[in-house]
Amino acid sequence: MAEIINPVLGQSIVAAATFFLIPTLGEIYTERSGILNLGIEGMIIASAAGSYAITFLTQNLWVGIIFGIFLGGILATIHAVITITFNRNQIVSGIGLTIFGTGLSGFLGRDVIGKAVNGLDKIELPILYDLPVIGPIFFNHTILVYLSYILVPVLWFILYKTRVGILIRTVGENPSAAFNQGVNVRLIRYLCTIFGGMCAGLGGAYLSLSWLNFWSEGMTNGKGWIVIALVVVSLWNPLGALFGSYLFGSFDVLQFSFQQIGIDTSILKMMPYLSTMTFLALWAIILSQQKVKSIVGAPTALATPFED
Amino acid sequence: MLKKTFIKYIFLGIIFGGILFSGTMNTRGNTSTGDIKAGFIYVGPIGDYGWTNAHHLGQEMVAAEYDWLTTVYIETVAEDTASVVQAVDTLVSVEQCDVIFTTSFGFMDGTLEAATKYPDKLFFHCSGFKRAPNVGNYFADFYQVYYLNGLMAGALTETDKLGYVGAFPIPEVIRHINAWALGAKEANPSATVDVRWINSWYSPTAATSAANALIADGVDMLAFTEDSPTVVQVAEDNDDVYAFSHYSPMQSYGETSTISGQLVHWEIMYDEILTKIHDDTYTNTNLENVDLLWFLGEGAVEVGGEFDEPINTVFEADLKAINLTDPVHGSISVYDLIFERLDEMNDTWANVDFDPFTGPISAQNGTVMIASGVRASIPELFSTMTWFVDNVIGTIPAGDDGDSTPIDLVMVLFGVLALGAFQFTRRKK
Repeated sequence: MAEIINPVLGQSIVAAATFFLIPTLGEIYTERSGILNLGIEGMIIASAAGSYAITFLTQNLWVGIIFGIFLGGILATIHAVITITFNRNQIVSGIGLTIFGTGLSGFLGRDVIGKAVNGLDKIELPILYDLPVIGPIFFNHTILVYLSYILVPVLWFILYKTRVGILIRTVGENPSAAFNQGVNVRLIRYLCTIFGGMCAGLGGAYLSLSWLNFWSEGMTNGKGWIVIALVVVSLWNPLGALFGSYLFGSFDVLQFSFQQIGIDTSILKMMPYLSTMTFLALWAIILSQQKVKSIVGAPTALATPFED
Repeated sequence: MLKKTFIKYIFLGIIFGGILFSGTMNTRGNTSTGDIKAGFIYVGPIGDYGWTNAHHLGQEMVAAEYDWLTTVYIETVAEDTASVVQAVDTLVSVEQCDVIFTTSFGFMDGTLEAATKYPDKLFFHCSGFKRAPNVGNYFADFYQVYYLNGLMAGALTETDKLGYVGAFPIPEVIRHINAWALGAKEANPSATVDVRWINSWYSPTAATSAANALIADGVDMLAFTEDSPTVVQVAEDNDDVYAFSHYSPMQSYGETSTISGQLVHWEIMYDEILTKIHDDTYTNTNLENVDLLWFLGEGAVEVGGEFDEPINTVFEADLKAINLTDPVHGSISVYDLIFERLDEMNDTWANVDFDPFTGPISAQNGTVMIASGVRASIPELFSTMTWFVDNVIGTIPAGDDGDSTPIDLVMVLFGVLALGAFQFTRRKK
């Protein structure tokens, strides 16, 4: 425990977890509306390159970050057109999007390799920073981390307590019923997919302008794929995303402290993945109970094209 | 039904994995007027800002210098024999290359295989040890530079704790950690070096976590082997933590926290090799004994976080103010000692006046590994160095040679399982 409350490590965990949290929140909305987007990795890495390159060109961080969000949205729109308008296979389209995004990132970032940009500065929040233990861990970060703190409850509230949330969930559970009620299923799916892409784009901008502060090819190391698993771990709930992201982030960071105890490094490196897999297996067993499944399981119409 | 879809996903995983690991091809300088066409095979993307990027810059510089030379490269080639031979096939039969450079240790066996297939072509393999009549070796090593960086780190540390983010526990990285620790010890006998392994040549996210773990344990000087400026930026983000740049000039990522670093000049080696091929000194029958291993003396490596700036000017005054007693130079400032050492090492490896690995040097358990007054030999430095000097407090995990990348397989498996679990948790309609 002493390791976790060390402010440097604590901050490092929060910084790592935020990278998983933001795209996971977006993907939850996408999947809640019935669309599976496996292009997360591609959108993250393309936006990381794009936002860094634009920031370097304009010397304005916010132009870069907004471009990153915008680019994520554009890429998700491609997926939306293929899967929602043309009802094509969502898995194939998503994987295609990842490959396209990875290639695009190399193109967008080719002129800013080795060029330094001043990323977002950390802000110590007044009052909150002075809280014992948690103050220095949670309240000495860049503005994007604070944004993620706000996004979690807000997105949870919208999904479970508002009419918009009911519409999104209905579209993902039973699109035909929603359609018969006069709901524009395709429009809602489009908006949710684009929102998911924008979150992935923000995650990419966070990677290259806040957490790490540079661009080089392949810098995500395939970590975008973890988001797909974290959505399942979080049981398609924004609050669960907070849990999953911080769990994964903790293992990711603490493995290097555990090295001192003499545990084999290869095993430590597997820990984040193993822990996530354990949860996936655990949910799979729990959710095999039909009753539980109907409350917290995957959206029924997930990855199923809607034909009206 | 479930079983069927699951198998489908496994196939998708395999296909996708295949796409991930296959190489991509790029041609540069299509003017085919040159006498020599050189083909380069890279292990990573040219945009990694580390190993592959440095080779690519070196290659471009030489290509720009001589009008008899054209170059072509293939990036992100996997390290198995079949992939290397396939890449060479393309370079030789499609691109009509005369000489092939294979720039990763893992390409060694593939290079030998391809050299047998094309006996009339010349091959140069970087960082390996196997040669043939048409296969030569070349490498530029940093250990002298790490030693100089260690002098600076030992002199400037406030906590007496230095930290190293290591890629893989192989002789090359261990040698660099040891050289760094020896320099630190010379400037500060109570300085220790703590090591964390990330088991990857390129993983910015792991490097940031490892560097933070070191800082949490009280480290204030960071050096690393990883192909990105991550560790430099972690130092920049933390007050009173400083770093040494690695491979590429990274000082611009941490203007006030990069003390120095290690820089490479592959263009000097490519210039030498290609010029000698051009004037027929090197042919496809006499490379058996060509093993270029270059250091500071040949100008293949340089000390600094920025070219032509051995020490970041921000730290000059501090280093001038710290005095040491050296058996040869007497009382001398660390700053002056560094330049004395640079001067002493400014010769070919066999003829230098000073070498960091001169005994007595003990391992962590106290065993004397290099006897008093004896200089470590090239094999001792480059093949059998699997031990840490006595002021390193990390451990060397056994069995990982840096060749295999099981984590990539874990990732693919992970993806497939995640999809499977997702499929399983879906409710039936």
